[in-house]
Amino acid sequence: MDANRNDAARRAWLKTLAMASAAACAPAWAQAQDVKFGFNADQSGSGAAELGVAARHGFELAIADINKAGGVLGKQVSAVIRDDTGYPPKSIQNMTELIDSEKVSAVIGPTNSGNALAWLHIPQQKKVPVIVPVATATEITRRYASEAQNFIFRISMVDREQVALLVAYAVKASKNKKIAIIGDSTAFGQQGIKDLSEVLALHGVERSAVAKFAPKDTDMTSQLARIKESGADTLIVYGLADANAQLLRSMEKINYMPTLLGTWGNMSTSLIDIAGPKLAEHIIFATSTAEDSNPRAVALAKRVRAVYPKMATFVSAAQAYDSVLVLAAAIRRAGTTDGAKVAEVLDSGIPDTQGILKVYRKPFAKDDHDALAVEDFHLARWRDGKVMAYEDAITKTLTAADFKK
Amino acid sequence: MTDLLQALLSGLALGGIYALVALGFSITQTTTRTLNFAQGEFLVVGALVSVAALLLLSDKGQGAVLSAADVTLWRYGLALLVSLVVLSGMGVLLYLAAVRPFVGAGGMSWVMSTIGFGIIVQNTALMLWGPAPLVMPSPLGDSVIRIAGAGVRAQEILVFAVTALVMLLLDHALRRTKVGKAVRAVAANPQAAALMGINVSAVVVLAFVLSSGLAGLAGLLIAPITTASVFMGLSIALKAFSAAIVGGLTSPRGCIAGGFLLGCVEAGVGLWRAEMREITIFGLIILVLVFKPEGLFGRPVFEKV
Repeated sequence: MDANRNDAARRAWLKTLAMASAAACAPAWAQAQDVKFGFNADQSGSGAAELGVAARHGFELAIADINKAGGVLGKQVSAVIRDDTGYPPKSIQNMTELIDSEKVSAVIGPTNSGNALAWLHIPQQKKVPVIVPVATATEITRRYASEAQNFIFRISMVDREQVALLVAYAVKASKNKKIAIIGDSTAFGQQGIKDLSEVLALHGVERSAVAKFAPKDTDMTSQLARIKESGADTLIVYGLADANAQLLRSMEKINYMPTLLGTWGNMSTSLIDIAGPKLAEHIIFATSTAEDSNPRAVALAKRVRAVYPKMATFVSAAQAYDSVLVLAAAIRRAGTTDGAKVAEVLDSGIPDTQGILKVYRKPFAKDDHDALAVEDFHLARWRDGKVMAYEDAITKTLTAADFKK
Repeated sequence: MTDLLQALLSGLALGGIYALVALGFSITQTTTRTLNFAQGEFLVVGALVSVAALLLLSDKGQGAVLSAADVTLWRYGLALLVSLVVLSGMGVLLYLAAVRPFVGAGGMSWVMSTIGFGIIVQNTALMLWGPAPLVMPSPLGDSVIRIAGAGVRAQEILVFAVTALVMLLLDHALRRTKVGKAVRAVAANPQAAALMGINVSAVVVLAFVLSSGLAGLAGLLIAPITTASVFMGLSIALKAFSAAIVGGLTSPRGCIAGGFLLGCVEAGVGLWRAEMREITIFGLIILVLVFKPEGLFGRPVFEKV
């Protein structure tokens, strides 16, 4: 009798304990079941860091919006954020950690092309989809294009596409058809020099001079002296904002001010800080969107500014935001977070998704992993500390036929 | 012609920085037969501390960006003072922690310990300031001065002028003053100097303070040209060390000459092919080491047994 009562009491006690511990564990349990999106990009080191910070805010806001609407596959999405400080070994380490330890379903990143090229093989081998929201090197999405499945996607500017725009403008703007090229000595700059030379050749124009500088060089007068000697009246630079600022300072030093064109990396306050606001206005560069392009952009820019008042590069926030939306749409259609299946859906087509930049209707194809192309880009430059669209008599005459690539 | 003059002007400014840091190498080498391989990191600290001091003086938060109006000459001078005080302290610390335990013990322990000290300094700076380069406007403004068609910024002239001045002062101090003679006596023969009543350990500490201070001064001078970044130390220190080798590690005047020479060679080769700069410089160093191991201006060292 007594034994029985004891037994019942103990069972009741055990039941309470089990329920209590289950309740205590519930949040942790739910968290372990979250869908994890990784973010790996330079947010502090190189001249492109501001693009990375803005991208991170776009990434976080998109995840917040998705979670508010119920998450994906009935689960919440959680963000795992890593800063690679612009340093390739650190970027590789982050990537391995995100995939192997954090077990993320997909990665958004990086900022610097050189870093992407350093770790592309990791997500490719481990079958984890990556959407690149910032880095622009053409090769990033093409390296594994001929493999059975390519896990690297991009919603950003593409070097070859920005080059198409820059060269189209340069060829029309140059009076003597002498166009020179200068680039930094990283993978980014060297690939840029190659792309520029090839596209110039498509226009039947030979580059008048080509020069290099190290990313931390502060005096480019000797390189510029040779470019000046070649008679170039137009110069295209493939470097990050801090180096480009030094290039502008060196141009001022030797009093040589050709038309200067560059990539969207010039959208960084370090260009203004180092070169000064007046000199910074001299460079014309390619970009994909401005913060006043459409009402969605205006709304997102306002939200990013609320948490990141110094934002100079709205465009990368918008691209990262759209990357997350497209990724979530693909996971929903795939019905799983399995990397191979998600990549397959990204290839074959997602439901129409309204992003900040545009509506994504089948943004990718098996042989085209870039969602944006030269038609989505335009020229811009700094004015009074803000990036403003750039228009002149030449930009108005640019047609699709001018964009050779 | 203008190109050559332009390269010469750029080379003299950069060479001035190499010369200051090279002089720092020379001072500790002659007094203690050791080198402070953390010189590059000391230069970084000099630059970063002065940016921090300027931000403080202009009532801005640490994280803000300095504008041209924030950097007046007297604030720049005060920043120099702050940076010299900090660097002197670090010089003493370096000597006590990483050099004194190994002086005269033979072996190369001090090489590793000073490199290690530098790495600790660099990572501490990274923690405090982060990896992004910080902007420091020049106190002399940013306009370009034209000399026979070539352009030069006031800050670059300042670098050259300060280097020349420091060289003259130091040269005078070493040859004419009592303290300078004591330093040279310790360099020549520490035992004999001690017997003559010279406080050898005080002189040695002074040498490290001086050498660290020079690195700090170089950092303050170069920041307006290159921006202040945690990672700029190594390449400058390496070239400065090369300058010291070329000019003669034991000769202060040789180090200065070596610094200017290297800066000009670097800029001159850049005129021809920018990617050949490093190859030429380090090729030159190997040549000097083969044909004149004591450096262009150094005196051969005879090890007396």
